[in-house]
Formats: sequence, structure tokens, C-alpha cells
Amino acid sequence: MNAIDIVLGGFLISALRSATPLLFVLMGETLTQRTGIVNLGVEGQMLVGAMAGYAATAMSGNPWLGLAAGAGAGFALSWVHALLAVGVHANAFASGLAVWMLGFGLSAYYGSGLVGAKIDGFATIDAGAIATVPVIGSVVAGMTPTVAGALLLVPMASWWFWHTRTGLRWRAVGEAPAAARTAGVHPAWVQVQAIVLGGVLSGIGGAALSVDYTRTWAEGMSAGRGLVAVGLVIVARWNPWWTLPAALLFGGTEALSLRLQAAQVPVSAQLLHILPYVVSLAVLTIVCLRRRTGGTPAGLAAVFDR
Amino acid sequence: MNRIAAPLLRIASSGALFLALAAAFFLLIGRHPLTLIAQIVDASVGSGYALSESLVRATPILLCALATAVPARAGLVSVGAEGQLYFGALVGTGFVLAQLQASTLLPGMLIAGMVGGALWAALPALLRIGLAVNETISTLLLNYVASLLVVWVVFGPWKNPASQGWPATAEFPPPALPPTWFDSRIHLGLWLGIAAAIGLHLVLTRTRWGLALDVIRGNPRVARLAGLDARRWMLATMLVGGSLAGLAGILETASIQGRLQANLSAGAGFSGFLVAWLAGNDCLRIIPLAFLVGALLAAGDGIQMLADVPSSVTLVAQGLLFVAVLFVDGWRRTRGIGTRP
Repeated sequence: MNAIDIVLGGFLISALRSATPLLFVLMGETLTQRTGIVNLGVEGQMLVGAMAGYAATAMSGNPWLGLAAGAGAGFALSWVHALLAVGVHANAFASGLAVWMLGFGLSAYYGSGLVGAKIDGFATIDAGAIATVPVIGSVVAGMTPTVAGALLLVPMASWWFWHTRTGLRWRAVGEAPAAARTAGVHPAWVQVQAIVLGGVLSGIGGAALSVDYTRTWAEGMSAGRGLVAVGLVIVARWNPWWTLPAALLFGGTEALSLRLQAAQVPVSAQLLHILPYVVSLAVLTIVCLRRRTGGTPAGLAAVFDR
Repeated sequence: MNRIAAPLLRIASSGALFLALAAAFFLLIGRHPLTLIAQIVDASVGSGYALSESLVRATPILLCALATAVPARAGLVSVGAEGQLYFGALVGTGFVLAQLQASTLLPGMLIAGMVGGALWAALPALLRIGLAVNETISTLLLNYVASLLVVWVVFGPWKNPASQGWPATAEFPPPALPPTWFDSRIHLGLWLGIAAAIGLHLVLTRTRWGLALDVIRGNPRVARLAGLDARRWMLATMLVGGSLAGLAGILETASIQGRLQANLSAGAGFSGFLVAWLAGNDCLRIIPLAFLVGALLAAGDGIQMLADVPSSVTLVAQGLLFVAVLFVDGWRRTRGIGTRP
């Protein structure tokens, strides 16, 4: 392995690994918002996913069961948002915050016994012959199944969203609910489906964080990743394809800040931790500055442009 | 339905749903619901000490609820009280560490805290009115930035070398410590919070300013015709709110911790958002509701010792309270019963 492999390939894979939990959440939130529903509760759904995933992995020794448990926990908690925001038309921001509080509390309660538990997590995937290709080889060889899964999710979800009938129905609900209803689509039911799909994906994202990325559980460990995702949906212009570069923006910044710490630059590690949040907000600001409304589902405009 | 019965019914039905949800959760975790509820009540108001700790816990929540409610009057959904609290604590602490004149230390520190909170609120306000960046998302992200800035200063430049590895600043000198009452930890913040709530209530209900905000929130077009600049009012409400959250931060630092350290807020900013929502952004109603939520959270520490229940049980209860109220309000609205102000 030469120097370019180590520097570039190493940076790419650490950016991807950091972006992976976020990418799951971001994809879920993008699809949810396309039906006209904002869900800040993804932060709490990530937390219950991270806690349940870690617990299942610690008990069974199988990280795949951990991902499944995370998906289940995120799915279950997201029904609260579906009930409040769609069922009784509660304010979506407030309902999301309620889900976040509930998820924080539940994960703290059930996770209190998990602090200090040990897990093995995923092994990296077998790259086979690809491993010998410069740069790409070292990236692929450094991937765990969750990273590969997140990367596969982007084209799969995008294709589904843009090129299938159900994808069209979801878009119609977000852009013109009245027209969708005339065409025989039940908007509320589609929104519920979108929220619980977001619940599954944010739960997997949370489990990918605890089971694969950090391999620990700590109270509140998602540290705003779900809320960053809600902001990055706007950066991605509500387009599933753009979730990958948007997530890499956060992941790349986090990888960079870890690199700078390892290189012992004379900047405090604590200060570098702030970087991903500042970069996310800065890019969000630039996007809002350049294109005020482009890409916003019409059904969401009422939520964002009050 | 008349004006008195409707709110009472709302309180009764939300309360009943909350108790039912909490009881179900307590059963789920293998606790007898009535016993645990009795223990929570006992740990929050059962003794003079418990009552005082509930008031202490309610103090920053009260100020942060006002920091949410005032911008809400201009139609803003700010969830930034948590970050404003941290940045107020940071700037106020900076004043204490820099200033050595004892006579003006306390008022100067409080003002510095308010300025810090206002600055941290000005950022999302300017992003919103200048660049149309959604204030809910920007305030949420800035919360993390502010709390991590506090982590940075207590690990780095402001770390007290004498504290042997524990990340915190030097202890505040006695002239910087706000007065306390009743031989308890109840401090200046409680009275300032109640006074601010009453003062803001009067301003928002009895003056032209309150009327202007009602017009801006209710009908932007009429507001424009009346010559009201919504952007200026949004900035003003955010500055007022931010200064109150900043005050909460520096008071919590000076009175409760005695020095700046990480995790000083214990979620007061978010609990404040919940309280403002429960109160329908009514500043007077915020006072009892802040006490209610503060008492619930303060009970968490008590029952951990008395009943061996993790204190996170009360965090779950807080979330269930929010869910119950949102459900009841939504249910009533979809059926046309009572409307939010």
C-alpha cells in the first residue's frame, strides 16, 4: 500500500464510516419530508435504535440482530409521531420534539445497564480482487456491511422514489395532496407509511452508530445527528440522490477533525468536535441563500416558509 | 362551551391521559403505578427540602420557557433556549474571570450572561430574517455548538489547574454568588423569572407591542399594511428571549454549580420548550407549569435514592406528558372543540 492509498483511501473510508449512520437517517427523513411531514423525532428514534441495537448485539453476539432490533425500535417509536402529526394533526415540530424527549428518556432508562458492555460488531467485508485496485481497493476493504448497505440504499431508494408507481404516489402526496386524493391515493396513509419507514431507517442508523461506528452505548450518543439530518434534507434539496454528498459533508468534516487531532495540530480536540455542526449550518445557510425555494415539496412550504 | 369550562376540560383530559400513559409505563417496568406516582409526588413536594429543590429545578425551566414563548409571539418556533443558556453561562463566566472589581461583579455578571444569550439568539434570528434559514433547525444546531464551546473552555483555556483533571473553571469569588433564600438553594433566578413572566405578560397583553405581535403572527398582510416590520419584531423577540435564557445559564452556573462546567443545563432549554407549549405561550400560565415540570424532574433524583428507580424514569414521564397534551389538543381541534390561542 502506498502513501496515496493511506492518506486518500484512509480519509475516504473514515468519512464514509462517519457518514453511514447519518445517511440512513437522512434518507428516511428525506422520504418522510417528501410526503409533507417533518419529523424532528428522528433524533429520539436514532437513540432507541442505538440502544436496542447495542443491547441485542451484546446479548446475542450477532450484530445483524442488532440492526434488526434497532430497526424495530425506530419503527415502534415513529408511530407516536404518526399518531400525533398525521392522526390528530398536531404541530409537526412539537410532535417531533415530544418523540425526541420520549426516545431520549426511554433509551436512557433501558440503556443504563448497557454502559460498559462489550460487543464485537461487524468485521470488514471481503473485498476479494477489488482490494488490489489503488485507493478504491483500500476503501472497499475498509467497509463494514453497514457502510456497504448505506451506499446501496442510495441508488435503490432513489430508483424506487423516481421510477415506480408507489414513488410517484409519495411525491404526489407531498406536492399536491388534493390531486393525489382525487387520483384515489389516501394522503394520510401514505404519510404514515413515510413516517414509519423513516422510523425504520433512523433506527437502523442509530444501531449502525452504536453497533458498528462507535461500538459503545452512551446516553444521548447520537449527539444531534438526527437534527443535523433534518437540516441536511434541505441541503440535499429533498432529492434521495443528494443524500450521499450531504451525509459525506458531515462525515468528511468529522473525519477531518479526527485526522487533525491525530496529527496533533495545535487546535483543541474539543473545538474540532464543533466543526461538523458549524459546517452543516454554514452549508444550510449557503443553500438557503442561493435557492430560496427550489426543490421544496409544495406540501412542506407551509411548514418552512411561515 | 364557555371560556372557563373549555380550558379546565383540556387540563383534565390531558392530565388523565398523561397519568394513564405514565401508569402503563410504570407497569411495563414492573413498578406498581400508584406507589411510584405517590413516591414521585413525595419526592417533589413531600418536604420543605423537596419543595425547595423542585423550585430550584423549575427556575431555569421558567426562564427558558419564556425564551421560547416570546419569539413564539412573533410566529417563530425557536428551540434554542438550551444553546442560549450555555452561551450566556459562557459570557457571564468570562466576565467573572476577567473582572476583579467586587462591587459591580454580580450585576455585571448577570448582564454579561443576558448579553451572551441574546447574541446566541441573534444569530438564528438574523439567518431567518436575512436568508430565510428555518429558525427551528438553526437553533437546534446552535444548541450543540454552544454546549461544545462550554466543553472546550472548561477543558482548555479556562480550566482550573487546581481542580486536578476535573474539567471546570476556577470557583466564583463570593461577591459573584447571587443571594439565596430560606436556607436552601433557591436563588435570585426564581424571583427574576417570576418577575419577568409577570412583566412580559403585562407587556404582551396590555401594550401596543403585544398588539403589534398579535397582528404580525395572526395576519402578516395586515401587519405590512399597518407598517409593521415583521423582521424587526422577530429580531426583538429573539433578543428578549435569548437574554432570559442567558440569564438562566449564568444563574445556574453561579448559584448552583459555583463555577462553569459542562452539562450545566440538564435539558432545561428543552423542558422550557415543553412548558411554553403546555402554556400556549401564555407567560402567566408558564409559572405554574414550569413548577410542575421542574418538580417532576427534581423527583427523579429523589426516587433514585428512595425507590431505587433510575432518574431517567422522569425523563420518560416528561416525554409522555408532551405526547398526552399534543394528542388531547389535536383531538379537540380536529373535532372543533376549543382552539389554541
